This record gives sequence, structure tokens and C-alpha cells, in this order.
Amino acid sequence: MEEWKLRPARDLGLRPLDRLRSLGRESGLVSLALNATWRRSVRAYLATAHRFRVEGRENLPAGPPFVLIANHASHLDALALSAALRGEAARRAHAMAAGELFFGSAARSAMAAYAINALPVWRGRSRRGDLDTMRTRLAEDSLVYILFPEGTRSRTGAMAPFQPGLGMLVAGTQIPVVPCWLEGARAAWPAESRTPRPGRPLHLTIGPALRFPDARNDRTGWEAVSTAAEAAVRRLAPRGMQPGPPEPSSN
Amino acid sequence: MIPHPPGGAFAHPVTTGIILATIAVLTVSGLAILWLSKSGRAKPEFRRELWLRWASWCVLLPLMLGPVLLGRPWTIGAVTILALLCYREYARATGLFRERLLSLVIVLGILAVNFAALDHWYGFFVALWPLMACLLAVATIPLDRPAGYIQRTALAILAFMLFGAGLAHLGYMANDPGYRPLVLLLLTAVALNDVAAFTCGKLIGGPKLLPATSPNKTISGALGAVVVTTTLVALVGVAIFRGTPLANPVWLIAMGALVSVAGQAGDLLLSSIKRDLGIKDMGTVLPGHGGVLDRFNSLLLVAPAIFHLVQYFLGFGLTQPTRLITG
Repeated sequence: MEEWKLRPARDLGLRPLDRLRSLGRESGLVSLALNATWRRSVRAYLATAHRFRVEGRENLPAGPPFVLIANHASHLDALALSAALRGEAARRAHAMAAGELFFGSAARSAMAAYAINALPVWRGRSRRGDLDTMRTRLAEDSLVYILFPEGTRSRTGAMAPFQPGLGMLVAGTQIPVVPCWLEGARAAWPAESRTPRPGRPLHLTIGPALRFPDARNDRTGWEAVSTAAEAAVRRLAPRGMQPGPPEPSSN
Repeated sequence: MIPHPPGGAFAHPVTTGIILATIAVLTVSGLAILWLSKSGRAKPEFRRELWLRWASWCVLLPLMLGPVLLGRPWTIGAVTILALLCYREYARATGLFRERLLSLVIVLGILAVNFAALDHWYGFFVALWPLMACLLAVATIPLDRPAGYIQRTALAILAFMLFGAGLAHLGYMANDPGYRPLVLLLLTAVALNDVAAFTCGKLIGGPKLLPATSPNKTISGALGAVVVTTTLVALVGVAIFRGTPLANPVWLIAMGALVSVAGQAGDLLLSSIKRDLGIKDMGTVLPGHGGVLDRFNSLLLVAPAIFHLVQYFLGFGLTQPTRLITG
């Protein structure tokens, strides 16, 4: 018999806005319902307006926890990656989003938390403690993280080197890291534009999962993870990483 | 049937009396805190705490008493919202919210039992308690996850008992045309019971009641609250139940004592839950009070206890049409 423990919500006792911004935020029935509605709407939008296609879905692990990583050129990236998930993985998926942009005001925080189910990452603030919390939650709460290890959206379409943060989450664990390549997002919603441009196609390629049980949980280990993950993502890029290649015409 | 004079919301003198008394207490306490602030007798943080509590009451009292004055559907609606808020805090504090299926069944159960009250369908109203206990007991079996079955089922059944079946009795009372003075009396007496326990405890002091459960409560406070609340409920009860079998000193005193004891028991019940979890407050919604449950814990057991006492002697809404929605 396993010992059974009462486990209060990780975000218990936080004021409403602090709760939305908390890395310990846990969804209840209302958040789950809002998030499910949002996911279905996004899925329908991507399918109709961007003819969203997913290739390599069989590479996704059977269930959480895992980390989904991809190249980053657009706000559509996190939406597209989360739209590729189904079932428990979709419900437990949290996109890592820039705190300054997505959690700046109360309204934005509510949107980011309830609809997108995002967790904030703040540039240059208490990174180590936050990453420790995320690492713990990934395994204990069996979550799915969607993250873009470049750190910011590419303005040119070329992929930037990966930051070591990814390694801090998974080094020394059996948690799979699933590399993805999203093609067409820059054309569909470039960083310079305020709104998406319907009609541009989106194509997601999911590659085989990587595991890093032997990577050390220190800077060298994290960098090794980042390097391997970056190489795996680059391998999925069409025609060896050229910025903005034309889309295949077949659908 | 509770005797009631013909007329609108304020037809019964007890209704008017309770509303006026509430406004008077709020005004006097506001002035007292103002005097305390001006005279500089209290520490700033204590003054801030007092103001926060007072301001919370100013928002809370209209939200509690307003629906009762507005009418039957409003009262039942307010009880439903209160029940859902209480369940939300309980689920997040105990971790039961992670059991999505059970949480959904409990929420649907709370809605169903309050619907039964709104429909004035007593048979369904009382049937829901055993039926929900059975449903909660089997709901998670198909998940094929026996680990933690006993604990999650127990947490779920307790939740439905307290916030669903128990609290809904308060709303069901509104099916009686004479409900207003009784419901207002319960809402205010339960609050007064807390204040009386606190004040008597501070003034008299003495040994603690149950130090491991609630370190600030004293035996003198508990007994003082019983005396104060019993007296008040019995005296107001004379005016509410005049001419009925309940208008008998023995029963009125018993009713007053029941309000006080069940109120304090509800308080201690929540304290036990909080102690077991190792948390201080159930939430942060009400500044100076904590969560919704921290404020309404005393009502949880009072509602069914008083309902069935009055039901035994008088019944609720016996001459009123039943099954208003389901026909």
C-alpha cells in the first residue's frame, strides 16, 4: 500500500493575479473547460485558415511527462504545437511564455493562464529557482511543456542557438524531449505583424524523442542537452535549415 | 408553515428588525473603529485588520441578506453560488480538485440538489443525499485506479454532504412564504455566535477549548456564545413562531442552543481540516477573513440541523405548489 497524502494545490493562498502568474498554477474544472474550448477553437482555426498538417505524430510519447521543443518564429508556434497534442497530453500541456509580454497586465495574464495555459518565464529574474520549480513539476505533476529554447522569436527565419534552460529541466531524467520543426509560421504570423495572415500553410514535423538520463545536472550537462536538442531540431528542417523555403504544394 | 403576515419583503417585523439591527451594528462598529483610529489607542496593523474586516462585512452583508429580501429564487441562487465557492476552496485545499471526474460529479450534485430546492421537490431533494453518496462511491471505479480510492471517495462524500446536501437546506427554507425572518435570523445569529465566542473568550479567558484544533478558542468563549446566541434566537423565535407548536420556551431554547452548538461545531470542523492540511486560511477572497469557507463554516451544520427541527414541528411550504419546474 502506498502512503496517501493530502496535497493542497501548489498555488493555494495566492491572491488571484499572483496565482495566474505562478509557476505552481494548477487547473481546476473552470480552467480546464476554458482551455479545452480555446484549444478546439485554435485547432479549427489552424485547420481552416492555415491548412495545418502534422507529420510524425507517432513519435509523440504515449503520455506525459515530456517536453516539446521547436524552432520559434511566431506567436502561432505554441498554438500549433499544442494543437498537435491530444487527450491527457493536451490537457496537461503548458507553453512557456515571456512573462513581460504575456503576463504584463491582469487581462493578459488571465488570457495566458486560462486560454493558452501558459507559464511565465521572466527575462533575467530568479531563473534558477523558477527552473527548479518547473523541473520538479514536470515529473511530479506529469506535465507537458512546450518550449522554444532559442529564447525569442526569430526575425529572419534562421534558427538561433539554443539556451541551456531546457537542460535544466530534463538533464539526468528519463523524461523524453520531442524535437519538432514548424514550417510556415513566420509567413503565417511574422514577429513584425500584430495579427496572423490567414491562407498561409503551416506544417509541423515531429521527430523521434531524445532522452538524457546520463547528462549531468550542471552547466556542462545542460549545454550538452541543448546542443543535442538543437541538432535534432535542425535535422527536421526542410533542405537543411534554409530560411523561408517554399512550401510543398501537396496537401 | 412559518406564520407570516401578508405583504412584501418587509411585512414581518422581525425582517425589518434584523435589517435595521444589522445596519445599526455596522454603523456603530464603524464609528468605534474610527474612534479607535483617531484616539491612537490601537497599533496601526491592528487598526488596519479591523478596517479590512469591517469593509469585508460591508460588502458581504448586502450579498448575504439582499437575496433573502429579493425572494425565493434569489435565495436559492445565492446558496448555490455559495456552495460552489465553498467546494472550490475545499477541493483546492485538500487536493480533491485533481480528481476531475469526482469534482465534476460533486458540482453536478450541488447543482441538482439546489435545483430540487428551486423546483420545490422535497422527494428528490432528500433522495439526492444517498443517491449522490452511491454515485460518488462508484464514479471512479471505471478509471481502474484503486490506489487512493478510499481517501478520494471519502473526501468527495464529505464535500457533497457539507456543501451540497447540507447547505442546500438553507435555500430550501425559502419555499416557505414565511422564510425571510428565519433565514435572516440564522445568517445573523451564526455571525453573532462567532463574535460572541471571540468576545467572551477575550473578556473571561481561562482554559483552551481544543488547543490542538484551534489554539485561540476558550471554554469560556464557547459557553458565552451558547448563552448569548441561545438567548437571542429564543427571544426572536418567540416573534417568528408565535402561535405554532414551536412557540414553547423549551423548544425555542433548544433551537437557540442548536444554532450555537452546530455553528461552533462547523467552525471546529473547518479548523480540523485546516490543521490536518497545515494551512491557516482556506483562501484569500475576503480580506481580513480569509476564504469564503473561513466565513461560512458555521453555517454548514446549522442549515440542516435547524431545517429538520422546524420541519418536524411545522414543515416548510406545505401549502405551496410543488414541482414548479418539473411539473
